[in-house]
Amino acid sequence: MAGTQYESELVRAGARAQGAWGQALYLARQYPLGTIGAVIMAFFVIAALAADLITWRDPLATNAPLSLAAPSADLWMGADVMGRDLYSRIIYGARISLAVGIGSTILGCALGVLVGLASGYLGGWFDLLMQRIMDIMQALPLLVLALVFAAALGPSLQNTIIAISIPLVPSVARVIRSNTLALRELAFVEAAQAIGMSEWRIAARHILPNTVAPLIVLATAQLGSAILTEASLSFLGLGIPEPHPSWGRMLSETAAEYMRTAPWLVIFPGIAISAVVFGTNLLGDALRDLLDPRQRG
Amino acid sequence: MGAYLVRRFGLMLLTLFGISVIIFTLLRIVPGNIVDILFDTAGMVDPAEKARIAADLGLDGTIVQQYVNWISGIAQGNLGFSYVSEKPVVEEIAPRVPITVKLALMALGFTIIFGVPLGVISAVRQNSAIDYTLRIISLSGLSLPAFWLALLILMAFVAWFDTIPIYTGRPASLGEELALLAIPAAAVGFRSSSLVMRLTRSAMLEVLRQDYIRTARAKGATRQSVNYRHALRNALLPVVTVLGIEAAFLIGGLIVTETVFNIPGVARFLVEAIRSRDYPIVQNLVMLIAIVVVVVNFIVDMLYAALDPRIKYSD
Amino acid sequence: MQRRPAALLAITFVLATLAGAVAAFIPPAAAQEPKRGGILRLYQRDNPPSASIHEGATFSVNIPFMGVYNNLVTYDTTKDKDSLDTLVPELATSWSWSSDRKELTFKLREGVKWHDGRPFTAADVKCTIELVQGKREDKLRTNPRRLWYNNVVDVVPKGDHEVTFKLEQPQPSLLAMLGSGYSPMYPCHVNAATMRTRPIGTGPFRFVEMKQNEIIRLARNPDYWKPGQPYLDGIEMPIITSRSTAMLAFIAGRLDMTFPTEVTQQVEKDIKAQSPAAICRLGPINVSTNLIVNREAAPFNNADLRRAMALTMDRKAFNDILYEGQSVIGTAMLPGPAGVWGMPEAMMRQIPGYDPDVAKNRAEARRLMEKHGYGPNNRLSVKISTRNIQAYRDPAVILIDHLKEIYIDGELDIVETAAWFGKVARKDYAVGLNLTGNGVDDPDQNFFENYSCKSERNATGYCNPELEKLMQAQSAEPDLEKRRAMVWEIDRQLQEDVARPIIVHITAGTCWHPHVIGFNPAMNTSYNRYRFDNIWLNR
Repeated sequence: MAGTQYESELVRAGARAQGAWGQALYLARQYPLGTIGAVIMAFFVIAALAADLITWRDPLATNAPLSLAAPSADLWMGADVMGRDLYSRIIYGARISLAVGIGSTILGCALGVLVGLASGYLGGWFDLLMQRIMDIMQALPLLVLALVFAAALGPSLQNTIIAISIPLVPSVARVIRSNTLALRELAFVEAAQAIGMSEWRIAARHILPNTVAPLIVLATAQLGSAILTEASLSFLGLGIPEPHPSWGRMLSETAAEYMRTAPWLVIFPGIAISAVVFGTNLLGDALRDLLDPRQRG
Repeated sequence: MGAYLVRRFGLMLLTLFGISVIIFTLLRIVPGNIVDILFDTAGMVDPAEKARIAADLGLDGTIVQQYVNWISGIAQGNLGFSYVSEKPVVEEIAPRVPITVKLALMALGFTIIFGVPLGVISAVRQNSAIDYTLRIISLSGLSLPAFWLALLILMAFVAWFDTIPIYTGRPASLGEELALLAIPAAAVGFRSSSLVMRLTRSAMLEVLRQDYIRTARAKGATRQSVNYRHALRNALLPVVTVLGIEAAFLIGGLIVTETVFNIPGVARFLVEAIRSRDYPIVQNLVMLIAIVVVVVNFIVDMLYAALDPRIKYSD
Repeated sequence: MQRRPAALLAITFVLATLAGAVAAFIPPAAAQEPKRGGILRLYQRDNPPSASIHEGATFSVNIPFMGVYNNLVTYDTTKDKDSLDTLVPELATSWSWSSDRKELTFKLREGVKWHDGRPFTAADVKCTIELVQGKREDKLRTNPRRLWYNNVVDVVPKGDHEVTFKLEQPQPSLLAMLGSGYSPMYPCHVNAATMRTRPIGTGPFRFVEMKQNEIIRLARNPDYWKPGQPYLDGIEMPIITSRSTAMLAFIAGRLDMTFPTEVTQQVEKDIKAQSPAAICRLGPINVSTNLIVNREAAPFNNADLRRAMALTMDRKAFNDILYEGQSVIGTAMLPGPAGVWGMPEAMMRQIPGYDPDVAKNRAEARRLMEKHGYGPNNRLSVKISTRNIQAYRDPAVILIDHLKEIYIDGELDIVETAAWFGKVARKDYAVGLNLTGNGVDDPDQNFFENYSCKSERNATGYCNPELEKLMQAQSAEPDLEKRRAMVWEIDRQLQEDVARPIIVHITAGTCWHPHVIGFNPAMNTSYNRYRFDNIWLNR
């Protein structure tokens, strides 16, 4: 159980870890890389939420005299070819990236959980069918599948989220299914069955909470790859369309064309993508260590 | 084992059949088709001509008919004609395969050459400065978008060496070609070697904690021999599995890298074909990729079963 | 007082033209005998849809394949502009009009052979024109320029080496269209489908291969009818879809030349900084950024709202942002000095939206909007549709910015190229941002193709029968000055009707390394100068 492992870690640390701050501090000391990841993520989340407050230029407003302006006190990261403030675009871009990352992860996990639980719990022909469908989805590389879906659905924010979430489904479903299968055999589920709880109630009350830990580990790993996939799709022109400030889009043709006269157009969005994915990876690693000690490295 | 093999093989065919149906249907619900594109490149022209072109291309039948035509074509070894170039699909795809395969193999080479040894070092020196450094490097490998890395490499080459490692024509010799592919392969391989490094590290740590390693140590085996003869051999098992999965991931990296370095391989061709709604190319190419992935996974499973005595063939 | 700047401009222009003309004769080309041999390498920006020029409507076909073909007549590549005055013989050695100006007779060059060895004759001319007219049994798969020859009643060969075009009414501009890169001669004995993949022409280069996303190759035609030409052994065009990658390859010396028209002001700066010896020529390419407006559906079935939209556009801002102020603000016909038929500036300024006082225009636009109940609290939402291509997206983003000023909230609707045609044909848009290229700088081509009631390429379906009569009249008018005045009047009416508001005429260009000698892009079109038979490499 998620709670128990985390508690046990704290117990091992002894009575010194008192209160929320104490616990946080303890965890920070124990997982320095994870803490860095959490800080990076917190930074981007806050930037995305407070975008209106921490920028002073409209990320969409074009301005001829500022075309390709170099970074300065007013334009922290310079301006793109249409004179749009790159700093504002990066900050607002965090919204898009996080929306796509979190949205597609949640959607993918929800679908995966549903399929995995149903498949593991119901078994039989349903399980067989689902397994085959998951096989099919896993036989195609993430980007290829996302590409075809993105082309089929057309370029927009929602469609990008859907296109990216679909390839995430099978890996989530797999994990949930195997956990469900393993848990079904356990004593407390049998006991619940013995006292006459319905199957769906057992699934909801007992099996789901027990799969939260691996799910969190998986979701954080997916978050990073979802953000990367969005960037790749947008780079290839099949993701988030203009004028939304997507980081991947910012790196595509326009930026690359001016990469020597205006290298900031290539450097800053690239750093933003890398940093946010780096953050999720660090955080994901720490969460895995914390929640799933079997895989600890 | 025989029965298991047959069963796995059957499932493989089933999976491929499913993929063919899905990809076929998806492509046909994509808005716009090649006829629209032809009309677009010609500016608007007579809408009455559209029907004639659609009929010429076999796009006028029902979707089921079209699917049956495709599959029965495959059965007869006829993959159809590219809508764009009007050449046989085989002629379009076949020459591009070796380019992508060379690139993928080189990337895989990088992955093994860097990933495995660095992972071992990281595990053996757990929690040392070198371990932390390697972990951060491998994490950045997983975080950098492949196309950004590729762009930065191009920028650096033009700025410092006054040359650009992109494909602008067929290379004169194999050596020249490999030299040209080395840089994109490194760009793609960075990600997978990071992944393999991390996996090797955690697998090694896992094995090092096992009883038999302790026993070996207790029996007085040297540290080196324990690390490399016992631990590494056992740790490689999960790494092999992941290499199989990573082969599929590589293709994703190849798509953007081939685009940036202008390499005329199959990965970029797929993106272009999706854009131009060249159904015969997309269908057959996606199937080819799926077959490669499914077969690689099948082989990896077999290898895993052969290597790990704990796996039984009854599934 | 107001005349002075115009006069000054005219003088400057004459001087510049003279200087250009002199320069054209002096440079290394004259100083040195052309060297034979070598492969010219320029990149191709995308996969051409086919090798059949008659089926294409993009210079992605003309540029790689013009070298395979010849026309009856062509434009003199040593001149700076393509116009009726600069036509020179190609497969025709001479031409003459009948006294009623309804018959045009060409004398054809003798001894010319197709690449497969068969002789070129007058019958091939007839076949070509009838193929484009759609009169032959063998059909072009797509036929974008059928209406260029609407006025041709019959093509009559006389023997093998003379052919007469019989016309419905006089049409001096027929020659202008025959001179375009879009008007190659096709052989009778090769069917239209084969021309797409294995084209046969009479041109200086033979088709070798075209590999999708990889390369196009042409090789010297040893039997070319022009003595001593072509100088090049062949042309190689690797297909590089990423402009940035392509420019890097050019700077690094892997290419001799960029794809024509792909160099923008910003890119030129970049190239010059890295590779100062490179020669770049930028100018109007007779491609305009414009709006297609759906006049049949709300809200722009309302003439006031159309006018308001025309008024809010700050053309200077478009020009400054996208083209560093180097593009040309004009109406349907490309304005001077580059263009031949553009209306005078004073006349243009009278048209809504062309007055440089943007604040005043927008105040009027807001009044028009308010008249229909729109205001700061009742804003109009409109979808701005455009294709998923940078040259389309960027101006659309700016347009949305300008519409904000007059209570219109534009939402960008990005459409994949594959879906664009269907959307426009279904009239499933309110405003679309579009690019229109004109194969020649000529009113017959531009008006009939883009604004005539029966044109299949008239995307908006604009149809004004009165104006159409005037279009016919100007086409038949032999007096150049009279015709010009008619053209201006038609152009003015088109703009006032907000038929297809022109935002700006794009300036773009081509760069090549100094060892490439003889390439001279025209300043008023980008479709005609890619025969490459007089190009040589000084290495």
